[in-house]
Amino acid sequence: MASSSYSNSPCAACKFLRRKCMPDCIFAPYFPPEEPQKFANVHKIFGASNVSKLLNEVHPHQREDAVNSLAYEAEARMKDPVYGCVGAISVLQRQVIRLQKELDATNADLIRYACNEMPAANPQFARRMGQGGVSYDQSSGIYYPSPWNHDEPCGERGDGGV
Amino acid sequence: MTLKGGTSQACASCKYQRRKCSSECPLAPYFPPDQPKMFQNAHKLFGVRKILKILENLESHQQEEAMRSIIYQANIRDRFPVHGCWGIICKLHFQIRQVEEELHAVLAHLEMYRQQQQQIAALTEDVTSQLELGMAPPQPCLAQQYSYSIIGSNIGYSSNYLDSNDNVGNSLWGQHPYATNYDTNSMPIIQSQLVASQPLASQQEEVQNYDEMHPFFDTIDDRQSYIETKEPYESSSEESLKDTAPSMEHAAENELKSAAACFTLTSIN
Repeated sequence: MASSSYSNSPCAACKFLRRKCMPDCIFAPYFPPEEPQKFANVHKIFGASNVSKLLNEVHPHQREDAVNSLAYEAEARMKDPVYGCVGAISVLQRQVIRLQKELDATNADLIRYACNEMPAANPQFARRMGQGGVSYDQSSGIYYPSPWNHDEPCGERGDGGV
Repeated sequence: MTLKGGTSQACASCKYQRRKCSSECPLAPYFPPDQPKMFQNAHKLFGVRKILKILENLESHQQEEAMRSIIYQANIRDRFPVHGCWGIICKLHFQIRQVEEELHAVLAHLEMYRQQQQQIAALTEDVTSQLELGMAPPQPCLAQQYSYSIIGSNIGYSSNYLDSNDNVGNSLWGQHPYATNYDTNSMPIIQSQLVASQPLASQQEEVQNYDEMHPFFDTIDDRQSYIETKEPYESSSEESLKDTAPSMEHAAENELKSAAACFTLTSIN
């Protein structure tokens, strides 16, 4: 098997797929031969073809992040075939909500102390809970954040390209 | 493509693949024909074969949940092609860290308020008992000035606390994609507003207490020492001090020292 110009051995993807690793192999920079499991997981969940298309649609300087995110999601799906990484999102979302409630209550206590008022019931909860839009599925107990209400990180929407 | 002799429309999956949608199509319940984009996203990320592979190893009651998570994951990837769900998780970790830090700061501030009130209450009780015994001149100024110094130090403490915890070392994200969203301005503003409102009210209250004690201390012998302690408040209550100004010339050494202590504390203002 021919080696790529970047290393002496084929990349983990070409090794797994048992094909010649060309110099312009799109997987080679992100799937080193020392990490075979990384590509194996990604290929099992998403498929090499889909990964290749996805990488071609993003900027070259963003491909490493894209591969790392795919590897993370693939591993999460391998560990939990039902919820994958969405389970982690649900857990974290609940934690955020709980902490916000606690913060609101503590802020209310602080205001009362500052104003020298007697402690009283405070309806200051859920002041920031609306951010992101969370829907709670009672049947499964999973919080599903609305996928269309999150802010765009790093301005990556829509203009990925080679 | 519609079923022959049937009334139901082909699911989005079969429509996309241009094939016949049977009644036993495994993806039909999850991809209605009126939402083609949803299937396109799932197909783009996973592919039909991979989705079916995930479903075949699950129980029937788990398949619906699995499909929901797959569709959600695919929609997120469509919206955020680079980071996908991993980016959402990083953002949530960041939010949690941010809220936790804010919570710790507020709890610390609250604790300082409680200690401050306890100290003021203790000093007030002490002064009250001394007044009842007719002993030392009143020193509520010490309690109030001490509270001012605590408040002043609180502001600096909170700001330093937030600034020192600005860096993030979460192993999930090497490039900190959400670090720019961190805002340290919201918390200190709240605290400084609360803190700024207190000294003004305390100062007015202090002047009022001073006026109330006037008639009582006119009757005791060490009126001169009492007059010395009034000097720190000249800026806020000059009219009340005018009558006693000539008596300040004959202050004893001990009274001067205690007055100097008051002067030191008032330098905060």
